[in-house]
Amino acid sequence: MRSGNSLPRSLLIALLVLAALLPLVARSNQYALVLFTTVLLYGVLATAWNIIGGLAGQLDLAAGAYLGLGAFTVGTLLIRWNISPWLGMILGGLIAVGFALLIGYPLFRFGIREVWYALSSSALVEVLRVAFLIWNQVGGPMERYLPYHEWSLYHLRFATYMPFYYIMLGMLVLALVVNHRVRHSRLGYYLMALGENEDAAEVLGVNTQACKLQALALYAFLVGTAGGVYACMYGFIHPNFFSGPLSTEVAILGIVGGMGITYGPVMAAILLVSTREFLRANLGGQLESFYLVVYSVVLILIALFRPQGIATFVRGAYDRLLSRMVKE
Amino acid sequence: MSAPILQVAHLTKRFGNLIALNDVSLEIREGELFSIIGPNGAGKSTLFFNIIGLQKPDAGQILFRGMDITGKPPHKICDLGITCTFQVPRAFASMTIEEAIRVGAYKRYGERDVARKVDEVIALCDLEEHRRQRCCDIGLSLLRRVELARALATEPMLLLLDEAGAGLNPTELTELMTVLRRLNEEQHITLCIVEHVMQMVMGLCQRILVLDYGEVIAEGSPQEISTNPRVIEAYLGKGAVC
Repeated sequence: MRSGNSLPRSLLIALLVLAALLPLVARSNQYALVLFTTVLLYGVLATAWNIIGGLAGQLDLAAGAYLGLGAFTVGTLLIRWNISPWLGMILGGLIAVGFALLIGYPLFRFGIREVWYALSSSALVEVLRVAFLIWNQVGGPMERYLPYHEWSLYHLRFATYMPFYYIMLGMLVLALVVNHRVRHSRLGYYLMALGENEDAAEVLGVNTQACKLQALALYAFLVGTAGGVYACMYGFIHPNFFSGPLSTEVAILGIVGGMGITYGPVMAAILLVSTREFLRANLGGQLESFYLVVYSVVLILIALFRPQGIATFVRGAYDRLLSRMVKE
Repeated sequence: MSAPILQVAHLTKRFGNLIALNDVSLEIREGELFSIIGPNGAGKSTLFFNIIGLQKPDAGQILFRGMDITGKPPHKICDLGITCTFQVPRAFASMTIEEAIRVGAYKRYGERDVARKVDEVIALCDLEEHRRQRCCDIGLSLLRRVELARALATEPMLLLLDEAGAGLNPTELTELMTVLRRLNEEQHITLCIVEHVMQMVMGLCQRILVLDYGEVIAEGSPQEISTNPRVIEAYLGKGAVC
C-alpha cells in the first residue's frame, strides 16, 4: 500500500518544533540524548531505505555497508589529515555512492532481483567488514579513536550529545524532503512502477536499470553521510560498523513503517527503536536479551494486524478524526 | 499501399531443443489492423516478446520504420514508438489508475504537461469515474482497459496487444473492438493483435498471419484465412477438411 497522502503542513511544523524542543526536556541526561539521537539515526537510515526498498521494491540489506564507508571516510580523514567531518561526510556519501554503483551496476545489468538481490547486498556488508578488519592502515581489529575536543564545530566533536541530536534532526528533515520530492517526481513514479512489475515498466519506456541505480545512489549517499555523523557521535571507528543486524533492522523499519509511505519509516523508528532501547535498559539487568523477545512479538503483531505498515494505521485514525470533525 | 512500419525477417528463437519460432517473416504496414493468430503453443507470444524486446531472438532481424531494433531493450523500443499490453495484465497493483497512466505519460511529457496528458487518456478510455481506484481493487475487464490506457499514454505508433480479448464476455469484447477501431481511425495507431478469440480478429482485422509450431502457415484477409485448409487443419486437426 502506497499513498501520496501527506500530512498537513501545520501538523508537520508542530512535529518539527516538538522534536526541536525534546532535548531541552532531557537537558543534561546524556543517556536520553543518545537514545533520541539513535532514534533519529534509524529514522534517517530507514527513510533513505524507503527510496530503494519502499518505492523501488528492492529488498536492500546493505545499509551497514554504506554507513560503515561513511564512518570510515570521516574517521580516517579526521584522524590522519585533520580534515573536517563536514567535508568528510560529503566525501563519505560519495564513496558510498561509488560502491553502490559498483555493486548495483552488475546486479541490475544481469537482472538480479528479489531474494537474490537481498542476499548479494547483505554479502556486501560482510565482505567490507572483513576487508576493513584486515586492512590495517585504515581499519584493523582495534577501535580507532577520533581526537577529543570539548566543543569544536570544525572537528564535529563535542563533550555533550546535544549538537548531534540537532545535526541528526537536520539530516532526517533532509532525508524526508528528498524522499517526498522523489515520490512525487518522474523518478518516483518510475520506481513504483518497476517495483510492481519490471517488464511492464520497461515496455512503458522506463529504463529500469538506470532508475534503480539512481535510487540506490540517493539511498547510499544519505546513509553514507549519516555514517559520518555516527562516527563523530561515538568518537571511534571500528569494522563492526559494517553491521549485518543493523542492515536488517533498517529494512525491517522500512517495511513495518509502510512501504513507500514517506513518513512511515520514521514512525516505525520512533516506535520500535525507542521500545527496544527502553526494554534493553530496563530489563538488561535481570533478563538479558529478553528485549529481543518482546521486540519480535511486537513485530509479529504488526505483521499480523497492519501488514501495510503502521503509517496506514495513523492515517486511518487521522481520517476518522477528520470526518468526525466535519460531521460536527 | 502504405509503407511498412514493422518488418520481421527470418526470425528464429530456440528454448533449448524447442524451436519456438522458425524463420518467421512478416510485414506490418502503417495504419493497418494486423493480427497474428494460431493454436496454443504456436509461438505467438514468443514472437510478441521478441518484437517488444523482452526476449532476444537467436537469428533474424526486426526493423521498425527501416531502423534495426533487434535485441534492443524494451524502453528504447518504446522511445521509438512501439509498446504493448500483456496477455495476463501486469498491473501496478498498489498504484491508482491515474498513477499507472502517469507512468506511461512521462514518456513524452515533462512534469508540467504530464497531468494534462493523463486527463486526455483517461477521457479517451472512459476511466474518469475510476481514476482514484487502486489497480489491485479492480476487475479483469477494467484492468485490461487500464493496460491499454497506460500504453496509449506513451503515444505509440505501433501498439501490440497480446490476447486483449481473453476472458472478456461478448459485450466487453464488442466494446473493446469499438475502442480499437476508433484508435486506429482517429489516432492513426497501427495495431497488431495477437489473438486467440477468432470473433474479434475476423471482425476487426484487415490482414491475418497464422502461426503453427513456430512457422508461418498462412497469411491473408479474414476470408482467405477462414477458408484456408492448412489453417483449419491446424486448429481442428487432420480430417476436419471435408
